[in-house]
This record gives sequence, C-alpha cells and structure tokens, in this order.
Amino acid sequence: MENMKKISATLVALAVLSACQPAAEAPATAADVPVAADTAALPDFSGAWTTYRNAAAAGAFTAPAGGPKLTAAAQAAVADYQSVTQGTDYSPGNACVGGGMPSSMLGSGGYPMEIIQRPEQLFVIYEAHSEMRRMFIDDEAQDPSQFFPERNGYSRAHWEGQRLIVETVNLKTQVDTRYPHSSQATIREEYYFDTPQADGTPVLAADLTLTDPLWLEEPFTITKRWQAMADYHVKSYECAEPKWLDELISLYEAKGLTMVQE
Amino acid sequence: MKISNLIAVLMLAVLGSAPALAHHSAVQFDFQNTVLVEGKVIQVRFANPHMHLVLAVSDAKGAREITFEGHSRNNMSRQGLTPNLFKVGDTITIRIAPMRNGADGGYVTAVRGPDGTEVGRVTAAD
Repeated sequence: MENMKKISATLVALAVLSACQPAAEAPATAADVPVAADTAALPDFSGAWTTYRNAAAAGAFTAPAGGPKLTAAAQAAVADYQSVTQGTDYSPGNACVGGGMPSSMLGSGGYPMEIIQRPEQLFVIYEAHSEMRRMFIDDEAQDPSQFFPERNGYSRAHWEGQRLIVETVNLKTQVDTRYPHSSQATIREEYYFDTPQADGTPVLAADLTLTDPLWLEEPFTITKRWQAMADYHVKSYECAEPKWLDELISLYEAKGLTMVQE
Repeated sequence: MKISNLIAVLMLAVLGSAPALAHHSAVQFDFQNTVLVEGKVIQVRFANPHMHLVLAVSDAKGAREITFEGHSRNNMSRQGLTPNLFKVGDTITIRIAPMRNGADGGYVTAVRGPDGTEVGRVTAAD
C-alpha cells in the first residue's frame, strides 16, 4: 500500500510540476552518484507490478498480428530448435534458465516484477527465475563492449521528458525464446505512466522495439502494460535446488546414509 | 468459504489470468477436470518451478503412495500458501488436474490443509 501511495503521490506531483516552470532543482546527492536529470521532476516507477487487466481497454499487450517477421536464417534456426525440443520437457524454464530479453520483460506480470529506482539506475527484478536487469542512466552506463554478452544484455538509459528510454545491446543469440533473435539484436524500451485504472491504480507501460539485422525482416514493436500491486515485494525464485537435493540425496543413499533435512 | 464459492472465485482467477509461464509440457494433465484427492502427507517440497507432493492414498484401487506435481511455490504463495498450512503426517485434500490416461498422479492446483483452509488457483500449469 505504501508503494501505491508513493506512486499516486508522484503522479499528483507530476501534474502539479508540469504546470510550474521552472522545475525545482535536483536534491543533493552523494558526490559519486551522477545525476544529470532533475530527479525531483521525474516519474518514480518504483514498486511491484503485475499483469494489467482491464476488459474495457487494451490488454496487457498491444502488438501487430503474427508476431516478429523472421528472416530465412532465423526460421531455419528456430526450426532446428523446435525439432530437438518439441514433445520433450526441454525448455529454459524447466532447466531453471531465465527467459532473457525481451522475454523476461514481456513475460513479467503473472510472476510480478519489482522496480527499484535510483537517480542513476533502474534495478528491475523479474520474479520468475529471479532475473534482474540494471538500466544504467546517463553517465552511470559504461561501454558495453567491455562486458560479455548476456541473455538480458546491457542496458543504457536516459530520460526524455517523463519517459525513460532504454537501449539494450550485448544480447546473446537466442532460439529458445518466444522472440528469437541474433546477437546483433538491439532493443529499445520506452517506459511511461499510462492512464490509471478507474480505481486509481497506477498503470505502467513500455513500448518495446526489437531490431535485428540478421533475424528480423523488420523491427518488431509491442506495448506492454502492468498495474501496480499493493503491499508486495517479489519473492525469490530458487529453481535449481530441487534437482540438486535429489542428486545429493542419491549420493547419501548410495552410501547407506540419510541426509538431515529438518 | 463454501467449496462452490471457492470454485467460482478460482474460475474468475483463471479467466483473468495471464498466459502461464510454461516450464514443460503439461499435455498429460486434464485441466478441464478437477478431482479431489485426500491423503496423508508422506513428502512435500514446495519449490519452483513446481511443487512435489507424495500422499498416502486409500481408495477403490487400494492403499498406495501417489506422487503429484503442482503450481510453483511462488504462485501458491500469492494464493495464500504459508509454511504452516500443513506438515508431513497431516491428512489433507488436494485438487488436481488428473492424468489424461487415468494413471495415478496429477497436477495440484489447490491444497486444503487440516483446518479446512484452501489455497491455490485452478488453472493451467505454471
């Protein structure tokens, strides 16, 4: 509830601030935390977010029919992946591997996501598989080329008015996803507060564009929406432990021992 | 809460829910049907991506131990599951999507503890 109040208060503050020029100066910050924008005037996306539900309006997704248009190379790669996994239990989720971008972001909701916003970064925790992303704002971002590619890539961000623009690179080639892409893919996200629910519940939206010169015939754009959750923090999602415990118990049993678990 | 009311609430949850996060194929489970199973808890592991539950069951087929899987710990927690709902040795009732082939087992969608408290969401596998 406290988060809801904070978000609602932020929305009200934004409405007031938008009518007042100039905006207030940025608050004092630690010397080692660069603050390029007037943080007092920016939206605060902090809080837990779940799937947007509103029968009278657009749902959680607004996307072109048919999904991403894959190139021939991508179609071949996906066909190979499907040929070895269809009809089996093999999947990233079952192997306790996170979805990676853009699936981690687009799939969040049923398993909520939590945003912790600071002047220099948005820290996003997707509950499913405890995936996390850091969206480094302005000078906090570093040269992505010094980092190894990851399934969630490396995200640099900046504010444009009331919107946070996030550019993600350093992605790994992924066929094991609803949104296949090559390592050359880039993702642009634009986060903003959308029209609140009728009861005032804040709604967060993000326009996402996936561009891939190798695997997509054209950029794929989709809009995702979430609604705020009251009194919730994402839970940890330990997924590999059951398999580890099964293996460990087998080792004990092979020695005629019983593992203490309680 | 009456069971009929509970089912209505659960169905509303299904209709309003987002697509489940599929971790593996669940075609072996019949999510169009819900079956109640009562048994003594032999083993339970609330975990992600799926719970693991072994019940000692006695029915027309005889007495035996049956292994079930079910919703993730996180999703069950959001439906109200707490660590104290039941423990090994308790007799509980579960709702399952039964096996399509009629074999023992199934996918646990809801759990009712010894005190009658029921938590869960009757929906597809997560």
